[in-house]
Amino acid sequence: MLLTLDILTTAAILFIVSIGLLAIFGVLKIINFAHGAWLTVGAYCAVVTAKLGLNPWAALPLAFVVGAALGGLAEHFIIRPLYRRPLDAILATWGLGIVVGQLVTLAFGRDVQMTPNLFAGTIAILGVEYSAYRLVALGIALAIGLLFALTIERTRLGLSARAVIMNETLARSLGIDTGRVRLVVFMIGAGLAALAGVLLTPLTSVDPNMGVSWLIGAFMLVMVADASYLALAAACLVFGAAQVLISTFVSPILGSIAIAVLAALVLRISPKGFSRA
Amino acid sequence: MLETLPAAGRIAPPPRRRLAVAAPCVVAGLAAMALWIAPAVLDTFAVNVLTRSMIYAVLAVTVDLLWGFAGILTFGQAAFFGVGAYATAMILTALGATPAGFAAALATAIAAPALLGLVVGWLSFYHRSTPLYASVISLVVPIVVVQLIYAGGESTGSSSGLVGFDVLPLEIAGYFRLAALVLVLVTLVAWILVRSDAGRALVALRDNEARCAYLGLNPRRLQILLTAALAAVAGLAGFLFANASGVVAPENAGFLFGTELVIWVALGGRGTLLGPVLGTIAIDYLAANLSGDLPFLWQLLLGTAFVIIIILLPGGLADLVGRLWRVLPIGRRTRAAPHLVARVAAPEAAGTGVPILKVENLAKAYGALTVLEGIDLEIRAGELVSLVGPNGAGKTTLMRCLSDGTEPFTGAVAIGGTAITGLTPNRIVGLGVGRKFQVASVFESLSVADCLRLARAPHDGLSPVGQAETLGLPQAALDVLRMTGLDHLLTPPTRLLSHGQKQALELAMVVALEPRLILLDEPTAGLTKAERTTIGTVLKALTTGRGIAAVLVEHDLDFVREISSRIVVLHQGRLVLDGTVEAVVGSELVRTIYSGGAHG
Repeated sequence: MLLTLDILTTAAILFIVSIGLLAIFGVLKIINFAHGAWLTVGAYCAVVTAKLGLNPWAALPLAFVVGAALGGLAEHFIIRPLYRRPLDAILATWGLGIVVGQLVTLAFGRDVQMTPNLFAGTIAILGVEYSAYRLVALGIALAIGLLFALTIERTRLGLSARAVIMNETLARSLGIDTGRVRLVVFMIGAGLAALAGVLLTPLTSVDPNMGVSWLIGAFMLVMVADASYLALAAACLVFGAAQVLISTFVSPILGSIAIAVLAALVLRISPKGFSRA
Repeated sequence: MLETLPAAGRIAPPPRRRLAVAAPCVVAGLAAMALWIAPAVLDTFAVNVLTRSMIYAVLAVTVDLLWGFAGILTFGQAAFFGVGAYATAMILTALGATPAGFAAALATAIAAPALLGLVVGWLSFYHRSTPLYASVISLVVPIVVVQLIYAGGESTGSSSGLVGFDVLPLEIAGYFRLAALVLVLVTLVAWILVRSDAGRALVALRDNEARCAYLGLNPRRLQILLTAALAAVAGLAGFLFANASGVVAPENAGFLFGTELVIWVALGGRGTLLGPVLGTIAIDYLAANLSGDLPFLWQLLLGTAFVIIIILLPGGLADLVGRLWRVLPIGRRTRAAPHLVARVAAPEAAGTGVPILKVENLAKAYGALTVLEGIDLEIRAGELVSLVGPNGAGKTTLMRCLSDGTEPFTGAVAIGGTAITGLTPNRIVGLGVGRKFQVASVFESLSVADCLRLARAPHDGLSPVGQAETLGLPQAALDVLRMTGLDHLLTPPTRLLSHGQKQALELAMVVALEPRLILLDEPTAGLTKAERTTIGTVLKALTTGRGIAAVLVEHDLDFVREISSRIVVLHQGRLVLDGTVEAVVGSELVRTIYSGGAHG
C-alpha cells in the first residue's frame, strides 16, 4: 500500500516537474536546458513570499508570473535566433541556466534556504499514515494535467499549438502567427516550471543549483513522451514506479539513475518512445 | 561569386603532399620546445594550474573532433576522463608505485574507457538514429558513471573520492612537461587527421550522413570507432590527471564537467582545434586566478559570454580571429586542386545471366495507405529503364525500396541475385547500386574534389595523414565533370555551386562508385536544355558502352523517349505497362494517365 502511494505520488511530482519542459519541446522542438533554472527561480519565489510574511500558497501565482515573464524575455532574445539550430539552443539555454543560477546566488547567497511547508502533517489513508503534502501534490498534478489537457484540446491557443506541432510551415501559411504561438507556449512552459519549483520546496532543500538535479530526469521523460502529455503521464507512472521499486528493493543509488537509463534504452528500441502506443 | 574563383583544375602546380604533415610538425615542435622551457620562467602556482589546463585541453581536442568536426554534440567525454582517472587511482592504490602498477594503470586507463566508448557508441548510433539521441546518451553516461562511483564504497572512495595513492615520481615541472608533451602530440595527430583526406570523412558525416551511407561508407561504424578512440584519449588524459593532481573525485566524471568542456570548445571555436586548445587553457587559467576573488561573478561572466557566443558567433573566438586574419593580405591560400586522372575500371563480370535487378511482388503501405502493390520487374545489364507516372504514383518510394533494405516492404528485391531485405543502404551500395536523389545530395561544406574523393573511398581508401595529389576517377565520371565544366571548379565548397552543378556533381559521385545498377530520381529536374542533353549523353554512354543498368525516374517524356531502352509506367502504386519506347509512348493508357483520365 505504502509502495502504491509512493509510486503514485512520485509519478505526480515527476509530471509536475516535466510538464513545462514538454510544452516547450512539443511546440518549439527545442530542449530547454534552462528548465532547471526556472525551477530554481520558482523555489526562490517561495522563499521571497515567506520573507514577506505572505501565505505560502501566494508563491504559486507569483512564481507563474515571474517564470512566464523571464521565459518571455528568454524566448525573445535567446531562443528566437536559434530556431534553426536546435543543438545550439540546448547549449544557449544551458548557458542561460548558469547565468540565472549565478544571479540567484548573488542575490540570495549559496546557502540552503528554508521555506514554510505548504501543507504539513500526515493523513491516515487506507491503513497507513502518509505525508499529507505528497497526497496534495498528487491532486495538484491531476489538476495541472486536466488544465493542460483542456487548454490543448479546447482552446484556440491549444488548436494553434497542435497545428504548429504537426506542421509548422503549413500552420504559418494558414495564417497562424507561429512566432506568437512559440512565445506564448514558451512563457507558459517557463511559468509551469517555476510553479513546479514552488511545489518542490516542501520536498527538497532550496539552493541555487537545485534545478539541475531535476533537469535530467524531466528531460529524459520528455524525450520518451515526444510531445504528448498523455505519453508523459504514462512515462511518469512507469519510470516513477521503476524508480521507487528499484530504490526500495535494490539500491537507492541505482534507483536514482533508473529513469535516465531506462528512458535511454526505451528510446534506443523505439525512437518515438511512449507516444506511439 | 563563382566567376571570381580561379580555374584551378589543371593549371595549379601540383600540391606537395608532404606539406600537409610538415607544417603542423614544425609548429608542434616549436610549441613543445616553448612549453619545455616554460616551467623555468613561470611561478609554481602557474605551473600547477597550467598543467591541469593542458590536461583539460586534451579533452577539448576530443570534444572538438566529435562536435566541431563530426557533428556529434557530446557531454560524455567527462565520463571517459573520469573512468580513466579512477582506473589509475584504484590500480595505483592497490599496486603502489611499481613499474607493473604504472603499466597496469596506464593500460586500464586507456582500455576501459575505450571499451565503454564502444558500448556507448553502439547505443548512440544506429541506422536512422538522430544527432539528438546521441547527445541524450552522452548525458546519461556521466550520470551513470558518477552514481557507480558513489556506489563503489571504499574501492572508489564514494563521494569523497580517492586521495593519497602513489603517483609517478615527477616534480611539478615534470608533470607540466609531460602534460605539455601529450597535449602537443594529441593536437598534432588531430590536426594532421583533420587536414587529411580521412578527416574530410568526419565533416562529411556531419554534413550529410545519408549521402555517406549511399556512397557505401558505414556511418555507424565510423561514429562508433571515433567515439571509442576518443574515449581512449580521454582516458589517457584521466591517467595524467590522476597522477598530476593526486586526487580523483566524482566531479571529474560528472555531467557538469562535460558541459564545461563543451563551453570551452564553443568559446574557443568549434571545428578549429587550436581555438578549443587555447580557449580551454585561457579560460581554466583565468578561472583559477579570478574565481578566488569573485567566484560567482566569474561564472556569471562565463555563462553570459557562452550564451552570446552561441547566438552571435557560432564559430567562437577562433572565427573572430580568422575573420581579422583574412582581412590582412597575407597568408591567403586556397587548397590546391588535385590532378584528375582516369582510372581503368574493373572488368565487368557480365554475362552470368542473372538479372542485375529482380523485383518480385513488391508491396509497401504506410498504415492503411497502399503506396506500391504487386510490382514485378527485371532489369539486365546495359538496359536504361525509365520509370514514368504521374505524381504520387509511387516512383520515389519504389526507388527507396530498391536502395534501402530496412524499409518495411513485402515481396523480394534482389541485386545481382542477392536479396536486400534488411540491408542498410551502405551494404546495398556494396552490392553495386548507386543512387542519385531527387534533390541533389552532396556535402555542402566540402570541395568538389573532396566530394568525389569520398565517393572513391570504398574503392581507394582515404589517407589519414595527407592529401593525395591525384584523384583517380573512372572515365565516365571524368566525362560528367568535363561536360559540365566542373573539372575547373574542384576547389570551391559545393555550397557555392549552382543547382545544375550540384546535380552534375552528385551524378559524377554516383558514377565514380562504379555501380552495376544506377538509380536516378529526376536527374534533370530544374536543368537547362543543354545540361539535360549532357546528362542524357552520359547515361547513354554508361549503359550502352559500359553495360551498366540504369533506372531513371523522369517526367519529361521527350527526354525519356530519346534515351530509354525500355519504359515502365507506374500508376497508383501498380505497374501498368512495361515495354519498348515505341509501345509505351504510343499507348492509349499513357495518354489517358497523363491527361488525367484514368484516376479512380
